[in-house]
Amino acid sequence: MTSLLPGDDVRTRLRTVTAPAEAPEAPAVVHATPDPEGTRLVTLLLAAEAVTEEQVEAALVEHLRTGDAVGDILVAHRALAEEYLVAALSQLHQLQRVSLRGYTPDAAIAQRLPERLARRLQAVPIAEADGVVLLAVARPLDDEDLLRVEESIGRSVRQLLADRREIDQLLQRVHRDHYADLATQHLMRTQPQMSAHVVITTAQKAGLIAVLLAVVVCAVVRPGATMVGLVGAASLLYLAVSVYRLRLTLRALGASLETDVTDAEVAALDDRDLPMYTILVPLYKEAGIVRRLVRDIDDLDYPRTRLDVKLLCEEDDVETIEVIESLDLPPHFHLVVVPDSQPKTKPKACNYGLQLATGRYCVIFDAEDRPDPDQLKKAIVAFRNAPGNVACVQAKLNFFNQDQNLLTAWFAGEYSMHFELVLPAMGAAEAPIPLGGTSNHFVTATLRELGAWDPFNVTEDADLGLRLHREGYRTAMIDSITLEEANSQVGNWIRQRSRWNKGYLQTWLVHMRHPLRLIGEIGVRDFVSFNLTLGSAFVLLMNPIFWTLTTMYALTRAGFIEQLFPGVVFYAASAMLVVGNFVFTYLNVAGSLQRGQFGITRTALMSPIYWGLMSWACWKGFLQLFTNPFYWEKTEHGLDAGHEGEVAA
Amino acid sequence: MTEVMPQPIRRRDREAQAVQAVGRRPSDIERRPWESAAVFALFALAYTAIGGWLVVQRHVVGFEALDRLNRTLMVWHNDPPKLAAVGFDHAPLSTLLLAPLTVVPALARSLWVVPLASALFAAGTMTSLNTLLRRALLPAPLRAGVLLALGANPLVVWYAASGAREFVWLSFAVAGIGALVAWYVTADVRFVMIAGLCFAVGTLTGYGTLAFFGIGVALVAGVLGRLGAGSDEVEGTTVGFATPAVYVVALWTAFNLLLLGDPIAWVTGQHQSTGLPAGEILGATLRLVVDGAPLALVVLPALVVVGVARRNALALGLAGMLAVAIAAPAVAAWLHLTDEPLHLRNAVAVLLLAVVGGVWLARALEEQGRLVAGGLVAALLVSIPWTFHTMRTYPYQDLESVAVAAVTDGDQEGATAMSGAAVGIADEQEMAAWIRAHVTRRGSILTDNAQTFGVMLLTGRPDLFDDRVDAGDAAWSAAAHDPAGHVDLLLLSRDTSRDLLSRLYPAAAAGTDPALVPVMTTDRYVLVGVPATYVRPDDAPVLDTTAADAASTASTAGATS
Repeated sequence: MTSLLPGDDVRTRLRTVTAPAEAPEAPAVVHATPDPEGTRLVTLLLAAEAVTEEQVEAALVEHLRTGDAVGDILVAHRALAEEYLVAALSQLHQLQRVSLRGYTPDAAIAQRLPERLARRLQAVPIAEADGVVLLAVARPLDDEDLLRVEESIGRSVRQLLADRREIDQLLQRVHRDHYADLATQHLMRTQPQMSAHVVITTAQKAGLIAVLLAVVVCAVVRPGATMVGLVGAASLLYLAVSVYRLRLTLRALGASLETDVTDAEVAALDDRDLPMYTILVPLYKEAGIVRRLVRDIDDLDYPRTRLDVKLLCEEDDVETIEVIESLDLPPHFHLVVVPDSQPKTKPKACNYGLQLATGRYCVIFDAEDRPDPDQLKKAIVAFRNAPGNVACVQAKLNFFNQDQNLLTAWFAGEYSMHFELVLPAMGAAEAPIPLGGTSNHFVTATLRELGAWDPFNVTEDADLGLRLHREGYRTAMIDSITLEEANSQVGNWIRQRSRWNKGYLQTWLVHMRHPLRLIGEIGVRDFVSFNLTLGSAFVLLMNPIFWTLTTMYALTRAGFIEQLFPGVVFYAASAMLVVGNFVFTYLNVAGSLQRGQFGITRTALMSPIYWGLMSWACWKGFLQLFTNPFYWEKTEHGLDAGHEGEVAA
Repeated sequence: MTEVMPQPIRRRDREAQAVQAVGRRPSDIERRPWESAAVFALFALAYTAIGGWLVVQRHVVGFEALDRLNRTLMVWHNDPPKLAAVGFDHAPLSTLLLAPLTVVPALARSLWVVPLASALFAAGTMTSLNTLLRRALLPAPLRAGVLLALGANPLVVWYAASGAREFVWLSFAVAGIGALVAWYVTADVRFVMIAGLCFAVGTLTGYGTLAFFGIGVALVAGVLGRLGAGSDEVEGTTVGFATPAVYVVALWTAFNLLLLGDPIAWVTGQHQSTGLPAGEILGATLRLVVDGAPLALVVLPALVVVGVARRNALALGLAGMLAVAIAAPAVAAWLHLTDEPLHLRNAVAVLLLAVVGGVWLARALEEQGRLVAGGLVAALLVSIPWTFHTMRTYPYQDLESVAVAAVTDGDQEGATAMSGAAVGIADEQEMAAWIRAHVTRRGSILTDNAQTFGVMLLTGRPDLFDDRVDAGDAAWSAAAHDPAGHVDLLLLSRDTSRDLLSRLYPAAAAGTDPALVPVMTTDRYVLVGVPATYVRPDDAPVLDTTAADAASTASTAGATS
């Protein structure tokens, strides 16, 4: 055991001022006083000059608003270091303190307390001596919890106060194998048919091979008719996807389809009733933007004492871990180190973090995200106003660096269209929504019950959206925006987009393993919606083929091309050419206008070039589905230097 | 945290800078889908019933409608089905939008499809007008008064019930203008997009919509500029408004280039009009407005006065659109861009624009709004007998006087229109009935579909015909010069001036060719048999394709002669 009882000047001062005869009176600035323990704590801290009167006053105001412990508020606002608070509490409660930094207890002892109870109470058995277990606790346990712990361990315990961050880290170290196992294997074990760990099932392979064989046989026997059939089927799919998107857009243009949350409703929220909210932030090789991330989370309009921020780092990402540690963040920021194992994906990290989550609700933000400050409160109001089957609230995503270059402008236009028009319309229609990668707020218990994210799916968000829907839950859209960093480099963009398209194909394959069962679960209408939504990936695959045919025909008037488009096929293809192209271009224009991004409207007109990039990325993802299905094409962030653009209000 | 990080622009700050409502939903009138549906159903039923009575019982049939319906029938049921049947003679969507009506051949054969082809669009126009009236904050009785008084205008009734293409494009133009009004009232940017889409579709249903679109562009940019919008907002909004129309124009231009070799063929067309002398155009235009839409003479100056005096940009924009509606026929006549200079049909657009302008005046004049609306109703009611008289006497028309005669005198089968066109549909019905009863082999009747479309439509079997759409003019011409090798029968118009096949076989068209014996004859058509051994005489006429094309185009422009 390393040093358990560190000391310093403040501790010494704290010890001195706790002598009853020397205790000063409560300062006059404290107009509103907390409970007796809080009063004693404040008195102690002021006497020790650990905090200023102004800081105490601000903390007391927040205490009155939220009812949270003054000491926790002071720490959350960085007015007081956690270790000083622990020192003060140890004096108040006459408990010894313990430092757990770098300490690894005997696993057999540490795991005596069941993980769930240990996590809830923030307590870890660290040693045993003379039949008494030393229990490191973040806060002194009340009698009832103490009894429960002793019954669970089968020994009497002695409490030692510890830094909350150190307890948290120790819990992670003690239970890391358990967490890692669940993060990777849980869905695969409990719902193997929903996991993408098998890319394509044997039955699907057989079906696919049968179809391919049938096409080959037909092509040999009736080559012309076969080609016409293929072109016809492709054209109809293309047309159906286009019409579906147009229909959604027109619906969204005509009405406000988001779940309505007014500023007055947000203002009317009583902070005392606000639940603990978990924020999961997966980070990988993003040391450079950690400071900005912390700033943006600090900007959230939510009591910090009710935030549970999980900074999810991969074990091999030493640089990011070191930066986070160096920031000496308050305890509502939790550094979570995800053990290095395959698949090394964002959903696995999120699953890992979800097991440690203490919030009633949880949300994912990416490292570079800048959510509207009131987004958490809006989500809470939305959950309260929505029907009971709403388990997810999706905020809108857009970019803060849309003006950086043409690519970011196109990307912003596409996101505006998707999040301002298409998704709200789908949400209003209660259709299965492919969730966005971030800013989706969940009821934590429901998310756990569903098995959380599929770690083998590289668009785990889209997959989860559909799994929610299959279980009878619904997703609501709220009119709150999270600004992200748009990819500003073509190569980086291609990597990101190829992953999305690969994931869409993965998701489609997973949920189409039993099409009839899927229809039975979600109905024909939503089945069609699901296929038309994910069908956009197939459209992107087909684009280059049709562009080539059209160009060749325009240049050569080749007869064989004409023969591929007889009658109705020609009608579908013509409508696809005329209507489809227009629809996809105009949707981008409409999305940017709807969001008031007038500056990028003109770039939306050049979006056909953007489609070329999209098809390129889609083919890359499609091929990778066969060669490296679980590979997570990492998106590099922080390429927006000098283009801060805008942030959410 | 002592590091200083840049503080970017906040989203709400940016949204607050926008003149238009973005990031929030402005207040607007309540949505009333059932009221809209009721208005639509009322006018659709009324115009279909009136049209059915005029067409089916009084035999006042506009052949231009039959032509477009036959083209859509060929889109579905030709052998092979051909989208190309839509052709380039009309704005493509004025034909293509009728396609749902001919999916079922039995309905296509029925003359009831003719009034439907316009009644649905006229009803859509009335629905848009009702929404506009609601945005003008007029009470229900006044709204009903305006709609009924306008809907009962004889000119409106005729074009709404006769299958004419006027209301096809007007329905989109009025919807687009209505969306612009909604945008002006609410500042909701979504209405700009809806307006842009309406004008785009409208452009492909009637090229004249482009003129209103142009005014719309100026209006959007002007209003935003006057309100102090930033250049990005002005540009972005204008681009958003203009994109759909620019896209369809570019696309149609490309198609014209690709398929006709002339990118602006859709503008210049192949019109045979000699136009009107410049000196007559002004007087004729004035007469068109006075006779057809006298309301415009009051509304136009009123809009200008209100626009200037109250700095009401929309009033000025609507004045511009009304002025364009009045001037467009004159310009078309001057530039020889139409076969029917200063035709009475042009008055419908002027009348509708005048009503839209009047409704906006009612909104703009707030306190006197109801008075203005009342005046509008009174003016529309008074103009009903006036318009009735105009339809009888106005010189540039098709079947308007015949429609009036149908109301006053009964069945018009065999009558002659003021333009000299023969009225009636009996010849087509008789020939179609005979063909349906006796011909079964596909592609066995060679015909010039540009002239015999009425017969083809009423058979409901375009697949029986070997026409110019099937495999193009070259293949058709080959068959025309060697019919025995291709078909069993020739369907010829008696009028050899326009029918290409009749021009090749004038004697057969007259029923006097001993080698091509008539098997069925009516006043307008003759169906002759082609013996397997038939060989065209060496001195038989040869097809002049240039003249033929012009003839075929002209043939679709109005009633048969």
